[in-house]
Amino acid sequence: MGKLTRRALLGTAAVGAFGLVAYGGGRAACSFVPRNHPDFFSLLDIPPDGAVARRIGEGALAEASLPSDFDGLAAAMKLRPLIAEAVATECPTTRRQLVQDQCAADFAEGRCVVIDGWVLSETEASLCAAKLLRPSLI
Amino acid sequence: MTRMIFDLQTGETPKEITGDVCVVGTGPAGVTLALELARKGRSVVLLEGGGEAYEESSQALYDGAVIGHGHIDVAASRLRQFGGTSGHWTGLCAPLDALDFELRADIPHHGWPITRADLDPFYARAHPYLDLGPYRYDWEDWRSIVPFPALPLDPTKILTDVYQQSPPTRFAEKFMETVRAEPKIACWTHANLVDVTLADGGDAVASVAVRTLDGRATTVRAKTYVIACGGIENARILLNARKQRPAGLGNEHDLVGRFYTDHMTIETSMLLFRDDVDTRLYPTSLKYDGAEILMGLKVHPDVVKARNLNNNSAFLVADYGDAVYSDDFRNYGWVAFSTMLKTFSRGHVPDRFAERTCDVVDDLGSVATGVYRHALRRVLPEKPAQAFRLRQDAEQAPNPDSRVTLIAETDPFGLQRIALDWRVTTEDLLRLRRTHQFIGEQVGAAGLGRLQLGVSDPPDPDIAYSGYHHMGTTRMHADPRQGVVDADCRVHSTKNLYMAGSSVFTTGGCANPTLTITALAIRLAEHLAVSA
Repeated sequence: MGKLTRRALLGTAAVGAFGLVAYGGGRAACSFVPRNHPDFFSLLDIPPDGAVARRIGEGALAEASLPSDFDGLAAAMKLRPLIAEAVATECPTTRRQLVQDQCAADFAEGRCVVIDGWVLSETEASLCAAKLLRPSLI
Repeated sequence: MTRMIFDLQTGETPKEITGDVCVVGTGPAGVTLALELARKGRSVVLLEGGGEAYEESSQALYDGAVIGHGHIDVAASRLRQFGGTSGHWTGLCAPLDALDFELRADIPHHGWPITRADLDPFYARAHPYLDLGPYRYDWEDWRSIVPFPALPLDPTKILTDVYQQSPPTRFAEKFMETVRAEPKIACWTHANLVDVTLADGGDAVASVAVRTLDGRATTVRAKTYVIACGGIENARILLNARKQRPAGLGNEHDLVGRFYTDHMTIETSMLLFRDDVDTRLYPTSLKYDGAEILMGLKVHPDVVKARNLNNNSAFLVADYGDAVYSDDFRNYGWVAFSTMLKTFSRGHVPDRFAERTCDVVDDLGSVATGVYRHALRRVLPEKPAQAFRLRQDAEQAPNPDSRVTLIAETDPFGLQRIALDWRVTTEDLLRLRRTHQFIGEQVGAAGLGRLQLGVSDPPDPDIAYSGYHHMGTTRMHADPRQGVVDADCRVHSTKNLYMAGSSVFTTGGCANPTLTITALAIRLAEHLAVSA
């Protein structure tokens, strides 16, 4: 094993510092680049797991005029302004609030469905349906 | 002191009894009317078919048949004794809404010939009769007094509805001695009206025949007659009076007994609120400013009309996870126990004491559970519920096919008994479903929670029970072809015969009827004091 020299230490520190500067600079630069890729999947953590949500998802697919494929449903949902904003948001709390606000807006504007007896906004019914249609990640 | 309550079954039977006004029935309508008239100097003959207290032989005169919707009864729900059905009413009170009086293009036969504003002064005067607080039913009048907030719902869509709770006032307990001491009232018990005789020419009542179950008979003559025997009996009396009017008195247009309406007592649909939503205003009655008030949710009248709904006020029944907060112990035994407790606490002996005691003994387990839970609630920390069922006395649209008719079977006086064909329609239940759906949408829009509907589509009529609010059988209408009585409660075809009580309701709204019955009685007294 070689001897740890002063030159080697300085070289390693320089490489590390350069890496940090490069990474930080890159992150800073990238923040000015418009992107749209925090994905729709992140919204699917919002509907609860369980039999009720599953029945609502099944009911939404059976009774509501929703696209029957995941991509189509995701695309349709992203047309709703607050959902589009939620999809582009990384903070889970903000994302949840935006979805809830979209649900409230649905109710206020009469975009409601009745599934399994529940009076629901179209958004939350669609989310339950999307959760069912979600493609396997394996 | 002059004793002005006479028993027709004892002592000498008078050949004839006379007075300015003959009032038949001693329930809230009859007693209120008699007292108001007496205070205005009119002599009143007040007739009660039963006794001063409950008697099985008299009560049995109310037996009849149920041939329509089954969740109703025609005998036990009424009381034939002094005080009438106030002897077992539950005491919830609210005035009818202005909407209830309006003509509605979307609901045939809807609307009274009078307005809520016409009744307002009489509602206020009715409050002391029923031991209610100030005449205030607008949430804005209570908002600053009650320490709990209303749900933050859009007030142009959902209103906070205010009801008041009467103790409940038992008219026998409260007014029997007042009537007895009133020199302008001659009250006769066991005095059953068995016939009505019209004067020559046939447009005015000349006398009524009165009999006891043991065969004593007399005649009552007055300038004016008022029948105040309840929503079923009022129709029965008119339909049986066929001596001079083959179809029955006031029944020239086949309206007597029709338009029977009740409140559909339904507890269904579930509201689930977010954990941080303050719901303390709703599950139980609250005592402030001399009133006991209970709040519900009511769809704004503009929305009711726009969406073709019936009127409705939904109360929130808490669904507690902890059994301590559950009221599932409330049965006949518990009601008897709490009634006796309240009556004793006011220094009176409860009526039907033996019957109530036996109810308590029969349901001792429930009574013990109730006492235990009430005691625990005083010491345990408050645990607000976040899940609620909606309980309502839902309105029915006027329906001429829902009706009281005579059947062949007769009572001991030879009067035909009645059959009640109460109709619970699919449309009324679907309107309730849409009402609940709208509440759910508004709760969702406010971000407060979600609602699960309990009224299916198509609906199951078995969810509807009678509120035992018998209404509409001699309905009020300006047009004799559409109503039995006019805006003054006078039978259209008879000069001096009036109807009092819930039988004159043109629409039933969703308010419990006793306050309106009492207000209409005071209004009728004002009219008769001038005209009779």
